Amino acid sequence: MKFGIFYELSVPRPFSRANEWLTYHNALEQCRVADELGFDHVWAVEHHFLEEYSHCPAPEVFLTAVAAQTQRIRVGHGAVVCVPEMNNPIRVAERAAALDIISNGRLELGTARSSTWTELGGFCADPDDTKKTWDEFCRVIPQMWTDDDFGWEGARFEMPARNVIPKPFQEPHPPMWVTVTTPGTELDAAERGLGCLGVSAAPFAEQERRTKEYYRRVANCDPVGSFVNDQVHTLNFLYCHEDYRQAAALGLPMVGAFSMSNAHLYFTREAYPTRAYQTLGNAGAALRSRGTPNGSAPADDPSVAKGLPEGVGIGDPDHLVRTIRKWDDVGVTGINFLLNAMEMIPQEQVLDSLRLFATEVIPQFQTPAERAARVEAPTTVPDVGASGSPAPSTMPAGANR
Amino acid sequence: MISGTASVDELAGGAPEITAFGTEAVRLGGVTGLSLVAELRRPAREAVLPPGLHPIVPPAMSLQAWDVTESPWGAFSAAFVRVVCRSGARARTFCTGAAASTASAVQGLQTQFGFPARHADVSLRRHYDEVGLRVSAESNIGGGGSDGRGKGHDGGGGRGNGVMLSVSALDPDPLSVGDLQHVGSMNLAHTPLGLRLVQVETHHEPSRVERLAARIEAFDAAAWGQPLLDPYWVVSCSVSLEDVEIPAIRFVCDPALPAAEGTERVQ
Repeated sequence: MKFGIFYELSVPRPFSRANEWLTYHNALEQCRVADELGFDHVWAVEHHFLEEYSHCPAPEVFLTAVAAQTQRIRVGHGAVVCVPEMNNPIRVAERAAALDIISNGRLELGTARSSTWTELGGFCADPDDTKKTWDEFCRVIPQMWTDDDFGWEGARFEMPARNVIPKPFQEPHPPMWVTVTTPGTELDAAERGLGCLGVSAAPFAEQERRTKEYYRRVANCDPVGSFVNDQVHTLNFLYCHEDYRQAAALGLPMVGAFSMSNAHLYFTREAYPTRAYQTLGNAGAALRSRGTPNGSAPADDPSVAKGLPEGVGIGDPDHLVRTIRKWDDVGVTGINFLLNAMEMIPQEQVLDSLRLFATEVIPQFQTPAERAARVEAPTTVPDVGASGSPAPSTMPAGANR
Repeated sequence: MISGTASVDELAGGAPEITAFGTEAVRLGGVTGLSLVAELRRPAREAVLPPGLHPIVPPAMSLQAWDVTESPWGAFSAAFVRVVCRSGARARTFCTGAAASTASAVQGLQTQFGFPARHADVSLRRHYDEVGLRVSAESNIGGGGSDGRGKGHDGGGGRGNGVMLSVSALDPDPLSVGDLQHVGSMNLAHTPLGLRLVQVETHHEPSRVERLAARIEAFDAAAWGQPLLDPYWVVSCSVSLEDVEIPAIRFVCDPALPAAEGTERVQ
């Protein structure tokens, strides 16, 4: 089981330069601590215009700072929006390769297509096309990373042959993922040999069903890249405290506030009828699946706040160990945690939560060798030697896993 | 999380009265429906909603029109202007104005469901190449204007000639019937429980759905109950052939309180 931290960079109202600065720099400190504690990944999203929910439109900048301030934790560019009005695929490949070099081969590249009208409309992107452009981006980016003479004539993107440089540090290239918000996208991931980066909460049974089907299909996939990344990660919240009640008292409001801010996004399907967006997104999916905890009220009763999905990472260490074992049992290979929302939890308590989790929970899911590797193995960098020429056989830690 | 800032007292001035909550659903048969979403400018975001509702980003408005063949109120046409919002975590709209073509429809929409309906000429015309909607406060639609093409319409907002709304939509493109999302309406009304936001759901059974490229040719915001409404950027427009059911009211909410605190079950 891999453990990561995940950033939307949600900012409290009233907005101010100071609040945005604080959110970014608190997150960077959390990344440094998570690196020291042995967490495996730090992911940062790409979202635009999503006031309060996510002030993270330039994750490659944030992650470059993370890479420069850490030694071992892998940096997840999760995910690049594969819509040409937002990102040209050449620029995606270039930026990602540069980040992989800066991080000494610690990059993971997620792909996505955006689910809100707020974002797609802001860039005048056509919602009908986003699945198509995502698919095309997924195929061209790894080729740009590995071919010295790459050209393309596709449905939504074309370029004459060029050598897209630099090449990423990892050989043949960084692992690739797709964010999975709506049911069915995990099958798209499997068929393309992409890792399944869950960004919406699903109950254990639903996650187990999706994970089984993912593994069944990925076994016979036609990978878009040079290798298959068959990992399944889910998104969760984390607030760990020795006292379960204190964990709940601080953690649950954070979960509720974040979920509410998600529900207030303007999802594409609500604004723009299209075959390309068949659900409202994670909030809508969650709402439809839940009524009151005892099922006594209809799911559309507006007095029923969106409830907590099962398996949330809020509690004392024993509770979290039990919860994560269930995720382990359904085939999940990694969990990425949101640590805060709108800075509701004071920074020192976020860091205490991270430390307690790393001390009491993570060791329950590692072999001694894994524990040793996490703490002791530095990132390997090329031996450039006296001449300045790198030794070609040197590989970074974690490359081509 | 942001909330509406409109004065409930001021909003209450135009609210209709529901003297008793009905227990039966109203079925509308043979409906031609038009739905249009347009973005609003930022000053309208919080200012047009009561404190119990939450705006979305960007602020947006939903126009809906029905041409109804069969109903308990007879055949009628109607149009609704609603601000897209959230009630608690749920997607809703807040109705600022409605118009219907017959007195019985106005009466039914007001007294059974709390729509702030007024009488108007509502013309919704669907063709294979275009769809036109025109709502006029007076019977002054003539000279070919009833096809909604907007010839001679007041492009500056519709004030002065009785035109409340004119929409022209071209090039219908078929969609699957499940591709169209409908969101319930929150209507401010005086009810037996007091001044409340009445939650009105509509269940749609479409047999045909098409998406079009639309243009709002005239829009008189004041005539739709809220001068701040300025639908400057059309997001989408669709037309459907469908049957519609409006179930009896089940929930109402205090307009001054968030849904989690102010919601009451009616039945």
